[in-house]
Amino acid sequence: MTEPLLRVENLKTQFFTETGTVRAVDGISFEVNEGEIVGLVGESGAGKSVASMSLMRLIDSPGEIVGGEITYNGETIFGLEEGPDGELREREDMLSPERMRREIRGNEIAVIFQDPMESLNPVFTVGGQLREFIELNRDLEGAAAKEEAIEMLREVGIPDPEERYEEYPHQFSGGMRQRVLIAMALACEPNLIIADEPTTALDVTVEGQILDLVDDLQEKYGTSFIWVTHDLGVVAEICDRVNVMYLGEIVEQAPVDELFYETSHPYTNALLNSMPRPDRTVDELEPIEGMMPEAINPPSGCRFHPRCPDAKEVCTRVHPDPKVVDTVDGDPHRSACLKRDAFDVGYDESPPIDAEPDVVAAAGSGAGGEDDE
Amino acid sequence: MRLLRYTIYRLVQSIPVLIGITLITFILANLAPGDPVQLMLHGQEVDEDLVRTVEERYGLDQPLHERYLNYMAGLVQGDFGHSIHRDRPVRDLMLDRIGPTLLLVLSAYVFAIVTSIPLGILAAKRRNEPADHISRIVALFGVSTPSFWIGIMLIVIFSVTLGVLPSSGLVYPWRTPADTSFFGYLAHFYDVLRHLLLPMIALGTLQMATLMRVERTQMINSLQGEYVKLARAYGVPERRVLRKHAFKPAQLPIITIIGLNLSTALGGAVLIEYVFNINGMGRLLIEAIQELDYQLIMGITIVIGFIFVIGVIITDISYAYIDPRVTYGEEE
Repeated sequence: MTEPLLRVENLKTQFFTETGTVRAVDGISFEVNEGEIVGLVGESGAGKSVASMSLMRLIDSPGEIVGGEITYNGETIFGLEEGPDGELREREDMLSPERMRREIRGNEIAVIFQDPMESLNPVFTVGGQLREFIELNRDLEGAAAKEEAIEMLREVGIPDPEERYEEYPHQFSGGMRQRVLIAMALACEPNLIIADEPTTALDVTVEGQILDLVDDLQEKYGTSFIWVTHDLGVVAEICDRVNVMYLGEIVEQAPVDELFYETSHPYTNALLNSMPRPDRTVDELEPIEGMMPEAINPPSGCRFHPRCPDAKEVCTRVHPDPKVVDTVDGDPHRSACLKRDAFDVGYDESPPIDAEPDVVAAAGSGAGGEDDE
Repeated sequence: MRLLRYTIYRLVQSIPVLIGITLITFILANLAPGDPVQLMLHGQEVDEDLVRTVEERYGLDQPLHERYLNYMAGLVQGDFGHSIHRDRPVRDLMLDRIGPTLLLVLSAYVFAIVTSIPLGILAAKRRNEPADHISRIVALFGVSTPSFWIGIMLIVIFSVTLGVLPSSGLVYPWRTPADTSFFGYLAHFYDVLRHLLLPMIALGTLQMATLMRVERTQMINSLQGEYVKLARAYGVPERRVLRKHAFKPAQLPIITIIGLNLSTALGGAVLIEYVFNINGMGRLLIEAIQELDYQLIMGITIVIGFIFVIGVIITDISYAYIDPRVTYGEEE
């Protein structure tokens, strides 16, 4: 089997705030192969964006990548080793900040941000910004870079690119700006594009156009994508494989059809049940109960257990790491649910979770009441 | 071309404002107590005919609105009337004095801008580090200390105690030095700077402090902007991110504040000219008030008003120049 383009192993990114350490990304592992679109799905706050920014080592203070390994095309983007005094230190073969900037960002891994309104600099022309990135990341200068920029604007479907080149972002509509951001990513000819919710800020018809555009361009250029989204509809449309994130962890990882038809994790299931699907008719959609907890103090055991309809006592104690539950055409289907046979921690025998906290609560308040009187 | 049209448009727009300034100034000056003729007489008893002759000569016998129209008719021809107390045209008196004031205000602005922008950026970059805390203290001091007190302290330290810089007067750069050789001009320039340094700092500190804080806030916001994230993600070197991508969008409020603070600067100049014994418009204004010289007070007030309006127009134009989102008022 060939090496994947990008391999992420046990990546941990934390934010050190005054109220405590936020474990935004807590040990995720996934791979991206060449020419593949990999989805990163989850609710707001699941750590999707932090995870994707970690791949470019663009985490601002107080955030920091604290563990794991990121390998891109044989180069180490991030890696730690144990120093002589037992302290963790950055590995010698890890790319220097200067090489990250010069050789990886833009050149190899480009990004499309989610907010087309804010991502373009309001005081520079669209063409000027595009050209700057081309000059930085390609061997093109001056007139040639400008020509390429105009060509890219045409490629992403912006009419009259020669004139639009000289215009400012505020003269573009949201959809057109998103096209400009896509042009930026493609113009640098990277091998991997991280699309961080690129269609979230757009209305549905424009979203459809953009997805079609990306599909066409992906076919044409063979670029790999990491598609960050909370929208499973988008995932079904474009992704090859999917990682479902919950509270800093990947809870399920599978090829896209497998994920939709052989769903293994209750969280993925809940996500699917909460949205309308063309292949299923239901009377009512089921929302997921409750809110996602803060990553600053995640629940014990399985992090999803407080909201999980299938949670049992064992889920509050045992923390599941994703394990292979099935294999489809050589691609593993991993799931981090104790229900699966792969775990064998006595889920079936475990008592249901609901009874216990009630009993404890009743006993506690009863005793407290007597003491007070 | 659009910018030129915008400039003309803004100039035309400012005409009603300028008329308003003259009208209010004129009314206030005439509402103020004191009869100009009586003032000229210094309380002497003279006969009615003489008083009437003088009133006629200065047009004081006419109704107020006619006097205003006369005054405006003179104004458009550059005639600000005649100073009764000094017996000279107001225009000539002001022309003598406007140079030092403009020199003082402009140099104070240059000082403020040149110091505040790098310091503000530094504070933003080193947010919550010692450099930021020091700049915060300096800014607090600058904002809360009256400029004339800073002026007096500077005189006490640099003129009285250390004796290194002059405490009064300005040397005007537009005067030809006695020695017209290259070194003569060099020495002249040095002299200009020596005299300008203390009043410039005294007047510029408030502006510097304000601008520095705004620059810091703006740069912090801008550095957190998505467009800065985008630039970094495409491998733009950090220096260029700071100087280009974050800097330019952050400067818009700075320009606004520079323009609006012109009023504070002009007001401050009045006091600074007094402290440093500079023969500028501000000092002339104080003297005119003490002498109850209404024509002169009116003239100076109108000129300062005009300078402020021009400052605001320059602000608007540079705003339109920097921010492409500002429309020129002509678009559909």
